[in-house]
Amino acid sequence: MRRALSLLIGLLAGVPIAARADTLSFPVLVPLTGFLSLEGTSQRNGAVLALKQTPAGITVASEVVDTGTSPEAAVTALERAAGSGTVGAVAASMLGTQMLAMLPLAQELKLPLVTVSGTASITEQGNPWVFRFFPGDAVTKSAHARYVVEELGKRRPAVIYQTTAYGQSGKTHLDAAFKALGVTPVFEEGVDPAAKDLLPVLTKALAAGPDVLVLHLHSGPTALLLRQAASSGVTLPIVAGSAMHQPSTAALLEPSELKGVCAETAASPVSGGSAEMQAFTDSYRAAFGKEPDAFALGQYDGMTMVLEAVKAGARSPDAIRKALSAEAFQGLAMTYKSDGKGNMAHSAVIVCYDGTSRVPKLAKRYDDPTLAAQ
Amino acid sequence: MAALQLLVNGVALGAAYALVALGFVLVLNATAAVNFAQGDLVMAGGLLGVAAAPLIPLPGIVLLPVVLALMAALGLLLAVVAYLPLRNRPPVSVFISTIAVGIILQNGAAILFGPEPRAAPPLFGDDTLRLGGLALPEQSLAIIAVAALLIGAQQWVFGRTQLGRRLRATAQDPEMARACGVPVTAMILVTFAIGAACAGAAGLLLANRYFVTPTAGGDLILKAYIAVTVGGWGSVPGAVVGALLIALFEVGVSSVLSYPVALGALYATLLAILVLRPQGLFGEAVRRRG
Repeated sequence: MRRALSLLIGLLAGVPIAARADTLSFPVLVPLTGFLSLEGTSQRNGAVLALKQTPAGITVASEVVDTGTSPEAAVTALERAAGSGTVGAVAASMLGTQMLAMLPLAQELKLPLVTVSGTASITEQGNPWVFRFFPGDAVTKSAHARYVVEELGKRRPAVIYQTTAYGQSGKTHLDAAFKALGVTPVFEEGVDPAAKDLLPVLTKALAAGPDVLVLHLHSGPTALLLRQAASSGVTLPIVAGSAMHQPSTAALLEPSELKGVCAETAASPVSGGSAEMQAFTDSYRAAFGKEPDAFALGQYDGMTMVLEAVKAGARSPDAIRKALSAEAFQGLAMTYKSDGKGNMAHSAVIVCYDGTSRVPKLAKRYDDPTLAAQ
Repeated sequence: MAALQLLVNGVALGAAYALVALGFVLVLNATAAVNFAQGDLVMAGGLLGVAAAPLIPLPGIVLLPVVLALMAALGLLLAVVAYLPLRNRPPVSVFISTIAVGIILQNGAAILFGPEPRAAPPLFGDDTLRLGGLALPEQSLAIIAVAALLIGAQQWVFGRTQLGRRLRATAQDPEMARACGVPVTAMILVTFAIGAACAGAAGLLLANRYFVTPTAGGDLILKAYIAVTVGGWGSVPGAVVGALLIALFEVGVSSVLSYPVALGALYATLLAILVLRPQGLFGEAVRRRG
């Protein structure tokens, strides 16, 4: 009787276990409110779009949680997500401080974190559970500086950057990249994101006699500076940071204000380039009613690679981690391959606006530009 | 020439900040409570302008009365929801309730409009007037003119009309005003409406040149607080002067030093004023009036 009861309990318990084995959960834990909500929303949209491609025989569950901007909220969201079913991998916040807080817990829980965070240190912790599907500043700023020096032939850049962690990191890598190219900026100044009027810094930059303006600012400040430069009659070439490629930044400006402006980015989905990219852009517009950017595409590629691993037979977080660590993946933006630390993206592009539309054209592609700059 | 251009930009920015600070100080005087939602009301005004622009495809100056009216209604709602039920509680209750309203406005705006920065239509035009080597954006000149007009109109209402006298009486001594037959609650509601309308005007003025996002209010409330502290807690002229001083630092000082240094200098100045003249620049006038 006792054996029969044990068997019955075992069978009853076994039914949900067997059902759960075919259901993998991919929580999306991203900042949807706070100062990074613009980029976090793109990240969410990219992940959600990718997770609609359910592999045959597998039920994919996904829950979107707003992590805000505090590390505690991100850690709590990860703990909660880990406790709700079999998690395959997590689409994790692009906010560096949140990633740094989540990394030890991810290692403890043995959960792969798939992110587009640009913070260099997240892949320098020796943590095998993090995978970054967006080129870090070492890659993008190297491409940024190389385009200025090698393609435009400019050697007197004025660098205007944000005083945030994002801005400081970009500025440090720009300095290193310019130094590697034998160029010293004639002007460098940080600007607080709350600064309303950027004419003072623009005036000082122009007074230094630069031959190009190099920007590394967030979306709003980038548009603000470009507008003030246009109204001041500035004719110098301007090569901006990745915020410029975001369609929401270009939407703030008239096409004429964008004439001669270029920007570095991982990819520019709205610029097209292939039938697959166009299909992605169309799907994104249909699903979210807005234009995709490189963050959305990076997260889409990352989650698509995760699902490809699942399709190939990976049914546990560890199997997915091993696939992400070892395999190469041809995504829409580029080919992704881990460098052993979880850095999957090694390409950047330069896009330029011709003054007639808000859609930039691809000007130059750099595959692993850091190697060439050394 | 560059200095003149920076001066125009600084005055335009200061004029918009002055409207923010003015709305803040009016509510402060009328209720003795700090309205921490004032910055988010500015954001709401900017986004209202953005939302109304496709419906009324006319210059921003035509939108201005619409935004003023809608924001005044929002101010009334704010008073009814976050102030009147708590008016007999300690002031900290109103601090918290207005902070809560600000968060609701922020998240509501994020849901309705998304997180992208947006630009409201210009008041008259987007062109730049060129006088010699001077490039003067029409919007900057329009901001100065409209802000001066609104501040002047407000001064006239407060100084020369029966409504203004009742509002001032309520602000100075609500109990005495009530004893004299002034409908204090109605006056407080009107003050909230005027304060929110000021915020809405500032939002519309700022959102064209400087864009607006759902999170923009946090920085603006800080500036309003500094302006009122520098000018003298409760002083209307002080709030305007304080706002212009902030813009002077942001535009003038940062053009000589750098923005982070200018910001540091602004806070150092604020500390110096608090130490040397705790009542603020116009504090004595307030004390005499009381």
